[in-house]
Amino acid sequence: MSSPIATWSAEGQERAQQLLALYPDKRSAVMPLLYVASLEHGHVTNEGMQQVAELIGVTATQVRSVATFYTMYKHEPVGRYLVSVCTSISCHLLGGDEVLDAACGAAGVEVGGTSEDDLVTVERVECIGACGGAPAVQVNYELIEGVTDIKAIDLIDWLRNTTPEVVLADELQQLFGGQKSFDWGVPEPDGAIAPVPAFGPYGSAEEGR
Amino acid sequence: MSDTTTVSITINGVDHEVEAGQRLITAAEKVGEYIPRFCHHDKLEPVGKCRMCLVEVEGPRGKQLVPSCTMIVNDGMVVDTESEVVEKAQEGVLEFLLINHPLDCPICDKGGECPLQDQTMAYGPGESRFIEPKRTYEKPIPISDVVLLDRERCVLCDRCVRVADDIAGDPLITFNDRGNHVQILTFPNEPFSSYFSGNTVQVCPVGALTSVDYRFRARPWDLEVTPTVAAHDTVQSTAEIHTSRGKIVRVYAAENDHLNDGWLSDRDRFSFAANHAPDRIVSPKRRVDGSFEDVSWPEALNTIAERLGGIAPERVGAIGGAHNTNEEAYALGKFLREVVGTNNIDAQLGDGFNAQLAAAVTPRATVDDVESAGAILVWGPDLKETLPVLYLKVRKAVKNGATLVVASPWRTGLDSIATSVVRYRAGSGQEVLRKLAQGSAHEDAAAALTTGPVVTLFGRASLSEDPRLAESVAAYGRTLPDARLMPLLTRSNVFGALDMGLAPDLLPGRVGIEAGSAGLDAMGMLGAAAEGALDVLFLVGSDPVRDCPDPALAAKALDQADFVVAIDAFVTDSSAHADVILPAALWGEVDGTMTNLEGRVQTVSAAFPPRGQAQSLLEIVRDLAAIMGSGDILPKDTDTASSSLANEAPAYAGVSRESIFFESDGTGVVVPTGAGTQPLGYIPTDAAVPVVTDRFTLHFAPSLYDDGVITRHAESIAGLVPDVTVRISPRDASVLAVSDGASVVIDDFLTLPVTIDADVAQGSVVVPFNQVATKGLIAASAVSVEPVRGDV
Amino acid sequence: MTDPILTARMEANRTDSNTIDRYLETGGYEVLKNALASMTPEQIAEEVKASNMRGRGGAGFPMGVKWGFLADSDPKYLVINGDESEPGTFKDRQLLERDPHQLIEGIVLASYALGVNRAFIYIRGEYPKPARRVQRAIDEAYEKGFLGDDILRSGFSLEVSVHLGGGAYICGEETALLNSLEGRRGEPRLKPPFPAVEGLYARPTIVNNVESISNVPWIVANGGTSYAAIGPERSAGTRMFSLSGHVNKPGNYEIVMGMTWRDLIYDVAGGIRDDRALKTWIPGGASAPWLVPEHLDAPLTIDDATTLGTMLGSGAVVVMDETTDVVKAAHSIVRFFAHESCGQCTPCREGTKWLQDILERILRGEGREKDIDLLLDVSDNISPGLTWPPAMTTICPLGPSATAPILSITRYFLDEVKAYIPVSEVAGV
Repeated sequence: MSSPIATWSAEGQERAQQLLALYPDKRSAVMPLLYVASLEHGHVTNEGMQQVAELIGVTATQVRSVATFYTMYKHEPVGRYLVSVCTSISCHLLGGDEVLDAACGAAGVEVGGTSEDDLVTVERVECIGACGGAPAVQVNYELIEGVTDIKAIDLIDWLRNTTPEVVLADELQQLFGGQKSFDWGVPEPDGAIAPVPAFGPYGSAEEGR
Repeated sequence: MSDTTTVSITINGVDHEVEAGQRLITAAEKVGEYIPRFCHHDKLEPVGKCRMCLVEVEGPRGKQLVPSCTMIVNDGMVVDTESEVVEKAQEGVLEFLLINHPLDCPICDKGGECPLQDQTMAYGPGESRFIEPKRTYEKPIPISDVVLLDRERCVLCDRCVRVADDIAGDPLITFNDRGNHVQILTFPNEPFSSYFSGNTVQVCPVGALTSVDYRFRARPWDLEVTPTVAAHDTVQSTAEIHTSRGKIVRVYAAENDHLNDGWLSDRDRFSFAANHAPDRIVSPKRRVDGSFEDVSWPEALNTIAERLGGIAPERVGAIGGAHNTNEEAYALGKFLREVVGTNNIDAQLGDGFNAQLAAAVTPRATVDDVESAGAILVWGPDLKETLPVLYLKVRKAVKNGATLVVASPWRTGLDSIATSVVRYRAGSGQEVLRKLAQGSAHEDAAAALTTGPVVTLFGRASLSEDPRLAESVAAYGRTLPDARLMPLLTRSNVFGALDMGLAPDLLPGRVGIEAGSAGLDAMGMLGAAAEGALDVLFLVGSDPVRDCPDPALAAKALDQADFVVAIDAFVTDSSAHADVILPAALWGEVDGTMTNLEGRVQTVSAAFPPRGQAQSLLEIVRDLAAIMGSGDILPKDTDTASSSLANEAPAYAGVSRESIFFESDGTGVVVPTGAGTQPLGYIPTDAAVPVVTDRFTLHFAPSLYDDGVITRHAESIAGLVPDVTVRISPRDASVLAVSDGASVVIDDFLTLPVTIDADVAQGSVVVPFNQVATKGLIAASAVSVEPVRGDV
Repeated sequence: MTDPILTARMEANRTDSNTIDRYLETGGYEVLKNALASMTPEQIAEEVKASNMRGRGGAGFPMGVKWGFLADSDPKYLVINGDESEPGTFKDRQLLERDPHQLIEGIVLASYALGVNRAFIYIRGEYPKPARRVQRAIDEAYEKGFLGDDILRSGFSLEVSVHLGGGAYICGEETALLNSLEGRRGEPRLKPPFPAVEGLYARPTIVNNVESISNVPWIVANGGTSYAAIGPERSAGTRMFSLSGHVNKPGNYEIVMGMTWRDLIYDVAGGIRDDRALKTWIPGGASAPWLVPEHLDAPLTIDDATTLGTMLGSGAVVVMDETTDVVKAAHSIVRFFAHESCGQCTPCREGTKWLQDILERILRGEGREKDIDLLLDVSDNISPGLTWPPAMTTICPLGPSATAPILSITRYFLDEVKAYIPVSEVAGV
């Protein structure tokens, strides 16, 4: 009998085993496992959902039912950098829609589209909890507050030209941000290596690691 | 004043005493206040999703809108179901449901029996205020071979999802996406392959789920409804045949809380195409020079009568009758015993066990007993594959809190919800049972069988299992707390047939025949015929070449027998050997009664006349007897048979078609155990069953969709017959040096691919029963397995 | 003004308030040590009950009372709701990022009081950084023996882990959150049963907001009555308010309730940017009906908000100045709720999207006079009577929330809505 995730990276397999052991009921691991599967396959694929289903002992349909409920599971390929622009009320009041237009223009895409070089996807998102630093943008879920339309264009250009391995919020904030919701404290060494949230080994890397 | 089991509630100013603990929507309906609904369904857990059933209930903070489907009635509850607020809310919900609903009622299968359509007429807003673009989806998409899904019509009531998940345990269809984009879907390339998928069509409150068979076939107002039972297995679920212009267009489940709860298996639901199959035998046939030619009924019957003239009665036998009504079976038995004079009669095909035990086991469990059991032991065929609606009942019992022990050589559908699973090597069941009974092993299983009433469902796990093991299991089951036993034979009306005396050692009414006077059983008859000791063999809707444990013996017997009469609806591997074939009426074409595995007698009814010149078995043997000069012995019709058997079979006294119809509220009557003359010696002790220790032992696993003649003829489910592979344990695979997918030779003649399966005990070999690819394999305990070696 | 409770440490230590060293140096985990050594679980629960603190997640239910409902059957669970997603709200993010140990100490104290040995912190998926900080703090707490087996040799054990969401506002509703944590769609459950009886894995479960639990160390240290003494009677304690929109000093402010809205907007948040005039504000997150300048001198308490037909909700105050296009603002909020509707019940699934569609048609200049009545009637079919607190035809309050902006703009700014409707579409033409 072979493991359903034999094709995953060693880190992915290890993380999957940790997650399966973490909860009183394996099914609770479905959401974190979907992030790991996204990282392994580039996005949430049918194969990835089937693998997660087999790992936790439910049907693939049940996994898909969960995976399509939440907006952070991407069922189509996205660029290396997922740029999420908030246009909920506080960001809307302070120019979020203009930031979105500018980001789309710079990337040459419609909302939700991916640039021709496959580097940048620009999406509209609802509130990301940065209302005091509106308008806010996330790159691979790393936050930048106080973004303007002009800074948004710079951001897209910088991502496409610099292609950073790791997206570091403090760096982006310094380059493209402004007003913050509150002091961020000490700079974070961790950042995102892919368009999944950088938490634990999935999607995250320490600077210089 | 309310007692403890009722509460007083006020609905629209009128006081009512209603049963405590029930949901308001149900309580209101019972007192004549119908509250509209889409998601509510009596047999499903409430979800409160559609919001159509909102009513006002007075509470501490004044009147509040609450869904009546989730609200339990309590004493003093004051309810308003028709206030302005309620009416506005209901109109609002209907409008919300309609804004994205297509206006394709004229071409929708549901049109005319659609709750959405009906409620729009009754409660809906007049004109549409919705001018935005409607939501659109590709329509319809097949989600299985038998079910189509039209997402535009769907009102997201969750009924199908609950049927698939909660009832059937097959969560293959569920909600996808979120908010306004929510839709019901299956996983890409993973169809809704549930044995119960058709129930979703029946419960769908709109035309979102439709069956391939029924689509565009009829309009509800053209349908004729014939109440009957689904006769494909011994559960005999209460059902309805819906016909249009003389043809079955669909089969629906009927509500019978004592039995099937309004559910059917897909085999029950979608097999009806066999009735209208183009290759039905529609006229009598006689073999002339090796091929069949059509003959008239008198010619056919005269041929048979001539052959029977002057024959020694013990050289005549009949195999079959399990698919017929009780009245037909009764007539057949009477014909053989009283006209021909033989006890060589068997409705089983070597696939069952001790007929006396099966017919008269006590204390016999009802299906209600299963539902309310404290513990359940299933040691027999995989219920999901053989008695699917009983499988649902066991699931329900487990949900109600019963512990469940499953003993089987291979995984069964119930394993995943079992408290304890006893997996044993095929052929070693007796040893396992002994240890379980002695408490020297399987402690978990024993511990799970301590809360009574303990219902033991016993039968043969497969045809390759020794039939005496079932007797031992029954003996063990009788020792458990507050024991009830349910015999698991699976074939259609086999319990009715046994009750009518279609067994070598039983007379009508569960009356035993002393061992010395008993006739030959099916295998005995086949053996005798093969050796030239039996001259005339009647095959009554039976196909021993495909269905009995030793197909080669059956084929030889039919070749050697001097004269074979097949009473059948199709030319089968067996009836092809016949000298005369008589066209038989099928289920749906005959009136009568049938008896299920708990002894429940229900009426079956003809929805239309038999095809062509086909006749009921009763008419066939009656006419044959008349030609043989014994016309007065047999009943002239179903009613005569019914009253005659009530006299002759005391257990059935008072059980007539009429009494069932008038007294049972459509749910049938259970023939009491212990009624009539109990046969002697039916209570098994610990039968001595040898433990098979050969290198490989066979588990000849049954599956719901096998290559049986009815499945083969039902187009919509014929495609669901599973792929055939040989399953062996990882250890045996490594010893044999075969990999997954490699081929092996079984019993020196059958080459099949291998699946390595950790659920197979070492030494066991699992082969699916009655599939084209496993044709001819003997259902013996021992089997040989050799790897196929390619050119090296 | 009372000293801050929740933000004192982070204000005093602007760079490293999240580290265990700083936390210990500023008296962290001392409360826990004392409590485990000298207090019974019941005593802690009593203090929390005496504090009269009302839950800070939005519903405002007294936390101590909620704890009292927890069924006594093991195992039971504590789940921290860090799914902060209500537009305008960002206070929990600050508490998670800047003082995670305060939360963890609160979790250990609460778990001890509740007899819980397994706790989860559900953090929304868009908050990886707060999640990382909390996880690091958890790791540190395990290392120092504040979590794990036999905490501080008290015999009490507790396992805590972080669970990251996947992007769904509705998971802030506690039963939806539990479904999500179980690996299911984040759809609110029918109540009853309430989580305290049948929650996570059908076990007794308490779900508390990040801010609520972060208050526990202070309450246990200083006594529930001290907490209850802060601020107005039924709005006890300090409370985090998230100020955003057109104010000079947006941010989170820990204040004592009872001040006026004028104090909050003009004093605490520094007034309206560019000295523009205040037009309207949302007093308690996107779900709350709006207030207008005539309400500026009303006191900021839970009960006064109710009187004005609105709520303090999640403590998010979104301020809009005179330049705001309120129709567009309302559309942003309605779009949010339509996007976040779970879709399980009819009025919310169909109604919120219909409201969004109508508003978008109006914004495109294709509105009709009767669309205003239609907006209100569709709203009425989601929230009958458009009363406060809202009645519902829905399973949970999300659907009715979408009617708040509709109600607000038609009540206060009807002319601005009408101005979008082409003259040719006005009734009578």
